[in-house]
Amino acid sequence: MAARRIIVEAIGLRKSFGARLVLDDLNLTVNAGEVIGLLGPNGAGKTTTLLILTTLLKPDAGEIRIAGASGPANVGDFRRKLGYVPQSIALYPSLSALQNLELFARVHGINQPQARADSMRVLEEVSLASRAHDAVSTLSGGMKRRLNLACGMVHGPEILMLDEPTAGVDPQSREHIMLTVRKAADAGVSVVYSTHYMEEVERLCDRVLLIDHGRQVAEGTVAEVIAVGGTHPRMEITLQEKLPPDWWVGLDGAKELGLPVGDGKMALQLASLAQVGDVLERVRARGGRVIEFSVHSPSLSDAFMALTGHALRETDQGTH
Amino acid sequence: MLRTVFLIFQNEFRLLSKDRVGLFMLMLAPVTIIAVAGFSLGDIYSQPGDHAYTIPVVDQDHGAIAAAIIDALKREPSIAVAEAAGIDQASGIVITRDRAPLAILIPPGTTEAIRAGRPARIILYVDPAKRLEVTAIEVRLGELCRTITTASLDLARKKIAADGAALHSRLDRLANGLKLLQSQIERFGEQAAHAQADTRRALKARMANAVREIELQTKAAVASSIVQTKSALATELGARRDAMEAVSQYLIRLQSTEREFDRWLAALKAAAGSHAVDIPEPPGFPEPPSKAQLAELSKPIELSIAQPVLPAPVVPEFGIKSLPTAPRMPGRDLLSEMQTLPPSAILPGDLGWGERAVAGGDLRVNAFDQYVPGFGITFLLIAMLMGLSLGLIDDRDWGTLQRLRVSSAPLGGILTGKLLSRFLIGLVQLILLFVAGWLLFGVSLGRDPILLLIPATAISFAAAAFALVIASLARTHDSVMPIGAVVSMAMSAIGGCWWPLDFEPHWMRVIALWLPTTWTMRAFNDLTMRGLGASTVLRSSAIAAGLGVIYLIAGFIGASRQYR
Repeated sequence: MAARRIIVEAIGLRKSFGARLVLDDLNLTVNAGEVIGLLGPNGAGKTTTLLILTTLLKPDAGEIRIAGASGPANVGDFRRKLGYVPQSIALYPSLSALQNLELFARVHGINQPQARADSMRVLEEVSLASRAHDAVSTLSGGMKRRLNLACGMVHGPEILMLDEPTAGVDPQSREHIMLTVRKAADAGVSVVYSTHYMEEVERLCDRVLLIDHGRQVAEGTVAEVIAVGGTHPRMEITLQEKLPPDWWVGLDGAKELGLPVGDGKMALQLASLAQVGDVLERVRARGGRVIEFSVHSPSLSDAFMALTGHALRETDQGTH
Repeated sequence: MLRTVFLIFQNEFRLLSKDRVGLFMLMLAPVTIIAVAGFSLGDIYSQPGDHAYTIPVVDQDHGAIAAAIIDALKREPSIAVAEAAGIDQASGIVITRDRAPLAILIPPGTTEAIRAGRPARIILYVDPAKRLEVTAIEVRLGELCRTITTASLDLARKKIAADGAALHSRLDRLANGLKLLQSQIERFGEQAAHAQADTRRALKARMANAVREIELQTKAAVASSIVQTKSALATELGARRDAMEAVSQYLIRLQSTEREFDRWLAALKAAAGSHAVDIPEPPGFPEPPSKAQLAELSKPIELSIAQPVLPAPVVPEFGIKSLPTAPRMPGRDLLSEMQTLPPSAILPGDLGWGERAVAGGDLRVNAFDQYVPGFGITFLLIAMLMGLSLGLIDDRDWGTLQRLRVSSAPLGGILTGKLLSRFLIGLVQLILLFVAGWLLFGVSLGRDPILLLIPATAISFAAAAFALVIASLARTHDSVMPIGAVVSMAMSAIGGCWWPLDFEPHWMRVIALWLPTTWTMRAFNDLTMRGLGASTVLRSSAIAAGLGVIYLIAGFIGASRQYR
């Protein structure tokens, strides 16, 4: 497989705000046509990483190489090719959707007629054409998110940097956004996708960078990262009567996880999915009755927990 | 860069067109506040309000002057007179009623004092809580007192004028009498002069005859005296002539003897030879004249000079012709008339004042001439805070600023676009406010309304730069108005936007010199109130713009750190 062209490369990034260290020795390479996920909990340093990648923020240490070259010489050209979708709804609420799009298109150097045409095109892409002339303030949260994404894409960027583009939106809009991003990626746009939703990364990204407390925890494809996390299938089982504590001993590779899963309920780490039947057989053999059980394949979230000792999101803790 | 400036400039106008609150603050809010301030505080500029002040009056004088005062107060459209029986009732009215700032007590004897030429005072019982109204009424009362005093003086002048006319008539009669007397005296003088000349000629002739006679008598007497003196002198000189003869003879002899003696001596010496020593005693000299003879010679001549007997002068007698009858002096009636002339009366002049505008403009002041530019500037500053400071912070908080910057729009271009648009919006705001002020409140636009653009341009620029400074100082959206509004209100108040600058203490006026609001208000006042021209407002406007440049530099430095 031929080596992909490097669009932007972050080497040894370090950034502090006052005494607070938000990035520490972070490395990232964005290749042409690649979708990279930045996955980490809130406050992990994802937004700071994106701002440094957009060249809006200077790192305290490390450097950004654009198309293999460092220095500010080609920053302007890079920015013109860049589409940035900030975490906030970066729109003028009193202007219409079309006016917002036209403004950001024209700021990128597109003339008025072309800006109008491009704006209508992306409005179609995000299914907002019918609301083109409505003020942003009258749109729903999901619509605003879609328009926010459209504003980052209106000028046809070669690289798209998205900072939690689906934060706080309804499932429909989330789906819409993800489809739009996928479509752009399929069209050859490089995407850096920051999120704390594991599922989005698993669906969209070619590679993923796990970040926690400003540190790079793992980097690679989703499978590679899960493998790096060394995670195993997990089985949660609820019994009608309590069995002796060592009822599962003897199942090869299995061990009890000390997670707070509730009364009469316990979690076991299995060596493989094939052990699920063995577990159920062992319960029956010990005279127990299973009320319900669930099995979880290893995920990025599990890998994150394995690597950092805490959950990717607060709500993830003990529920997967 | 220019593209960014243009797009941001255009976008600001688009944002404003959608911003109802912003538009309200630009026009409706200032017009409302200007109307409220102008109508409520118009009295400060001597503009009577729609409702008259109630002034209780206690008349303890009951004279003509008291009646004149009350009558004049009643004629004043801004005053309603409430006649009170006593000061307690009057004070009660002042305390309990609105727009009743003071009561007037006219003490007994006021009329009498004024008629007698003595000073008189009315007493004002004022409510300290209504100080501004009191001042406004006092100004009117001052004018009223002056009017009454002037009227009294006019009456006195008329009486004096009538008395003067009578006196003038009497003096005319007196002058005619004196004129007649003068002509009589002149005729008498002419007759006296003739008599004097005749007498002088007669006297001169007689005097000449008398002198001639005396001269002849004197000459005769002197001749006789000379003869007698010569005779006496001859007698007296006879003895002296003899003595002189004797002395003469003696001297001749002595001379002869001397010559003989010399001969003798020579012979003797020749004869003696060696026996000179044996020469006998020389012969003696003749006896000198006697002492008596010599004394006679030295005796003074006693000459009795015969004194001439001079004739006694005889004054010639001369007769003087009879003099004309002396003119008759003014009669007792005229003198008595002069004695009864009234004493001269000079009233002091009436020192008043007349007002003229220092720069020759319209003297009439409309309260809105102060409040339209004053509150216009205040709301300009507030609108700048809302439009530029809040707009910039919103751009940062929303992320639109980041998005614009990612599109390679330079921060300087974004700031310049915002500043230019807000500057232009501010300028239009001030223009519209002046137009509204002219249409609704009749404010003056000065000699040339176009000149108002000079200070309006300066303050719009300075206000936009000021808003940029606030945007760089305020960290959050919520801190813009607390910081910005306090500073802009203080700038407006100290700069004379809400009240005349002269109301402020010295230290505050010193601070005001560093505010663009001060210089802009000065320029607006020069144009609208004073009616001055462009040359006077250029300096003020340039200073305001200069302060704006300082703000702009500080704002750019601050904003480049805050929004980088």
